[in-house]
Amino acid sequence: MSKIVLTVDDSRTMRDMLRLALVDAGFEVIQAEDGVHGLEVLQGAHPHVIITDINMPRMDGYGFMQGVRSDPQHRAVPILVLTTESSAEKKLRARDAGATGWIVKPFDPQKLVDAINRVAA
Amino acid sequence: MTRTDSFAERRAARLAHAPAPPPVQVRRSTADGDVVHIVQGEQFVSEDPNLVIATLLGSCVAACLRDPIAKVGGMNHFLLPGSNSPRGEAEDLGIGVHAMELLVNALLSHGARRERIEAKLFGGAQVVAGLTAIGEKNASFAEDFLHREGIQHVGGSLRGDAGRRLQFWPVSGRARQVFMGSVAPELIARETRAIVVPKGEDSGELDLF
Repeated sequence: MSKIVLTVDDSRTMRDMLRLALVDAGFEVIQAEDGVHGLEVLQGAHPHVIITDINMPRMDGYGFMQGVRSDPQHRAVPILVLTTESSAEKKLRARDAGATGWIVKPFDPQKLVDAINRVAA
Repeated sequence: MTRTDSFAERRAARLAHAPAPPPVQVRRSTADGDVVHIVQGEQFVSEDPNLVIATLLGSCVAACLRDPIAKVGGMNHFLLPGSNSPRGEAEDLGIGVHAMELLVNALLSHGARRERIEAKLFGGAQVVAGLTAIGEKNASFAEDFLHREGIQHVGGSLRGDAGRRLQFWPVSGRARQVFMGSVAPELIARETRAIVVPKGEDSGELDLF
């Protein structure tokens, strides 16, 4: 059974690139455009791993992760942050919000797939 | 506790191996205001109405973005090298997307809102006859990116066969370009040498908390 990955990113180009990379690697991919949309999608989906951006309109990645972690259904799902940011302060904030790991863009498709498999194991 | 310790240790180890900081952009002050020159792989964002961002373009593209309400703007300068293999195509796309995302995020962090951002695109010239159409590829990428992302494309100047000297005032959004009759050899040399991909040493690597 293929693993399900939810990606949350406000950039359509980035969503397309993520979908291509992950579908190629055999994952089933569901996508959301920001944190609010991501939480809505999670009402009816049970991904094995979540990948989220930080800078997004309506609800950013921190708010989204807090929402996921306060939902009993999804509180244990690994969440990888995929962002252009790399400051230690933002990483700490993400960890406190419930992130499992952090990957700095630009992403390498194979490294991303390895990271997903590692945290989903 | 161990979680905190190992995070701190890893962070300390990372800082010890931190990549060298990017070159400091030179800001020249003149009677007309400050000028910041950028080159391929760089970007600059400012809220200073008297500052101008300048660059030289051949087949590269510079995107000039600004939010008229937040009164902030910025310019990048990138080159998709024009690979022909499928893998190269994907890498090209990645370079352009990353350059654009960095600039958009920098504007957002200065109070801009994505839906208010206005973009002007410059460059993408066919500066060397006979070479593959790298300028065209860069121009098309930039136009497609704005279209896909719903960012307003309000002007600029793309394609043609002449290099450009470009100046952009990030707060007013005013842009001025001068065509270079024949492209300076050093500009072509700079654009055709090994591509500097703007990414950190640990980009793409997983950092587990």
